Amino acid sequence: MDNLTISASGTGRERSCDLSGGGALSGLRVLDLSNYRGQLCGRLLADMGADVIKVEPPGGDEARRIGPFADDLPHRDRSLFFWFYNLNKRSLTLDLRHPRGIELLLQLARGADLVIESFAPGTMSSMGLGWEALHAANPALILLSIAPFGQDGPYRDFDADDTVLAALGGMLYVNGWPGNAPVRPWGLQAYHSSAYYAAVATMCALFARDRDGAGQWIDLSMQEATAAAVEHVAGSYFGEGRVEPRRGTLHWSRYFRVGKCRDGYIMHCSLGDWTSLIQWVASDGKAQDLIAPEWQDVQYRAVHAEHLFDVLDNWVADYDRDELLERAQTLRLPYATVRNPEALFDDEQLQARGYFVEVEHPELGRKFRYPGAPYVFNAVYRRPPLTGEHTGEILRDELGLDAGELAALAAEGII
Amino acid sequence: MAGIGARLPLEGIRVLDFTWVVAGPVATRILADHGAEVIKLERKPGPLGSRQTGLQGDLHRGKRSIAVNMGTSRGVEIARRLAEISDIVIDNFSARVMRSWGMDFAALSQLKPDIICLSMSGLGHTGPRSNYVSYGPTLQALAGFTLLMADRKGEPAGYGYSYADMSGGYTGALAALMALWHRRRTGRGQFVDLSQFEAVVSVIGPALLDISVNNRVQPAPGYRSQELPAAPHGVYRCRPRGDDDDRWIAIAARSQAQWEGFVRAIESPPWTSDAKFRTLYLRMCNSVELDAHVARWAADQVAESAMARLQQAGVAAGVVANGADICAHDSQLQARNFWGSVPLPDGTTTHVTGIPMRLSATPGAIRTPAPVIGEANDYVLGELLGMSRAERDALIAEKAVWP
Repeated sequence: MDNLTISASGTGRERSCDLSGGGALSGLRVLDLSNYRGQLCGRLLADMGADVIKVEPPGGDEARRIGPFADDLPHRDRSLFFWFYNLNKRSLTLDLRHPRGIELLLQLARGADLVIESFAPGTMSSMGLGWEALHAANPALILLSIAPFGQDGPYRDFDADDTVLAALGGMLYVNGWPGNAPVRPWGLQAYHSSAYYAAVATMCALFARDRDGAGQWIDLSMQEATAAAVEHVAGSYFGEGRVEPRRGTLHWSRYFRVGKCRDGYIMHCSLGDWTSLIQWVASDGKAQDLIAPEWQDVQYRAVHAEHLFDVLDNWVADYDRDELLERAQTLRLPYATVRNPEALFDDEQLQARGYFVEVEHPELGRKFRYPGAPYVFNAVYRRPPLTGEHTGEILRDELGLDAGELAALAAEGII
Repeated sequence: MAGIGARLPLEGIRVLDFTWVVAGPVATRILADHGAEVIKLERKPGPLGSRQTGLQGDLHRGKRSIAVNMGTSRGVEIARRLAEISDIVIDNFSARVMRSWGMDFAALSQLKPDIICLSMSGLGHTGPRSNYVSYGPTLQALAGFTLLMADRKGEPAGYGYSYADMSGGYTGALAALMALWHRRRTGRGQFVDLSQFEAVVSVIGPALLDISVNNRVQPAPGYRSQELPAAPHGVYRCRPRGDDDDRWIAIAARSQAQWEGFVRAIESPPWTSDAKFRTLYLRMCNSVELDAHVARWAADQVAESAMARLQQAGVAAGVVANGADICAHDSQLQARNFWGSVPLPDGTTTHVTGIPMRLSATPGAIRTPAPVIGEANDYVLGELLGMSRAERDALIAEKAVWP
């Protein structure tokens, strides 16, 4: 494991360490065959020290074609989309349409703990890499299959992208203003929700393997993961028979709504110490009827949320949002500013905790700040792999191929 | 749910659970579904309504509950003795709370050297804002995620719910399992300091790289594809169902073959042969006009049949499902038995969110309904801590434990 570029950008707690110290998952070998739909899971594991080998077709994974690109120069080794999801992985190019490619993959599977794939259901089997073949090659191997609708059922062969999954998982319907079109969350949150469950499933399968000695096949449906990630929709339906509507920026619990200060938006919150809040509002002469005793009752505040937040909107209109935030937090009121993402790079809290990590891209002669892992563990960071960057070392070190064999495979276009 | 009777993968792992609200309980729910023994240490209930149905039923199923008064020294002593026989202690307080009880990692690792402590606080245990009070909706606002959900005018239009509680909960479950795995390999416990804020910042990762590498702030994308390019790509209003005019379909046509399938499925109206829609590039350049055509077509369609027709033609399409659609009508979720059900003590059954990961040999299982607070007092104090009935009664008399 060479080429490690490690540093913690913060001045606070040490978040990164030398890989020789070992991450929580060091020693774990993962073959990541997944495409842009499944690639976050491997990164979550790689951040914690698993050796994640991204297996790509010669020419590179499709995800490398998705922008934006560094300096807006489209190139397979400059996709920021690829970079974010493939930090800390190694890259092996291998043509899985070729029998020799399949043979090499099966050989690698003998030394691996986990194979991740996100092909359409049935594709792995048709390539000779189905569960039976992998299990025969290595009975301890875990196969993680991430598919839009899982491996069975009437939608099994349906196609979907993140937006279609967000629709069918119930994630879209509840966002946006009533009467207007549903609004989509930023980013690929159906894929993300699936990736978290996929990583958790992997860990569960590892514990089971430690006990039972055998690997198993994990069938992860992205539609189900999406449906599970919409906080309140199923609970309201099963608990109260209510179909949750869109409410604009009013949170379904009715305790939060976006308000507008002089210089931008804030998030109101009617939980927390109501007396402190209303004294403050009253001292500004803006409390109107909210000083009445019934507003002390938290459930009353929820029932009458529209009026409550209308009054508070009128109150915050004279404030700058940072001023409001600092004073609210001093009073232990859970207010927040609704910030632009670029504010995060100047965020003192993230800086102090070393959340952003500097990763060196030697071939570009530059370092970039990446979002790191959201927990302080022993995380390590190596920049995302160039296309096929580690093909030679993996096939040489893991499978004992010599220079002549590698040259032959390259000449045939298999690697 | 499959797997009743099979051995669960996390059997034998005991979790002492101090978490509350949503994110923490999501994390420990996932552990409980897969066999960990999760003991919630709770305060005496206020009038919060039923805990066994709806979201609360979802959050707490499969767990045990003990009602301990942490304001008493005997209560704290019980909690510390429980930590001693647990594998991991999970909380979502700010740093000072566990410390004030002598339940932080430094103190607990004296009692049990290989203990794992996972704290899932709002903004982490270190840094100038570690004492901020926060909830999921306020964290996603601070993270920039709320503002990225903007309508066409660029004004905030959501969130309707707290995704931050989900991202925080999932990363919490993952962090717990990775730390447990590390201990299994090395024999060492550790303190894991999870920031729910950082978890929700991470979900906008590619946008952050665009800022740090290109110095460019992405606008809210509307329905422009954020993965492989596609056109048409968006949601389109369909024909009302009864008096419900809030029916929509999401469509994503990426490849040329999908476009041709789309044209076939909508029976090739004349506009589809217009040269300005001939290639993906042209369709993206002319997407406003394209969307208007698709919207006119969709307005006449029943969302479910349009989805079926488009999928048959190979086009990614899906109904914008509401709560009733996903919980009661979606044939895929039904066929896979996604929704779980748990029998309640009163003889009724409640439905809960299922487990979206199927392990072929050791699948998770929804075992028991959410516990009434204090449901496991006798089990925990008697069986696990070996206290006699008289000792337990004394604790109740001292108000260290609520009956």
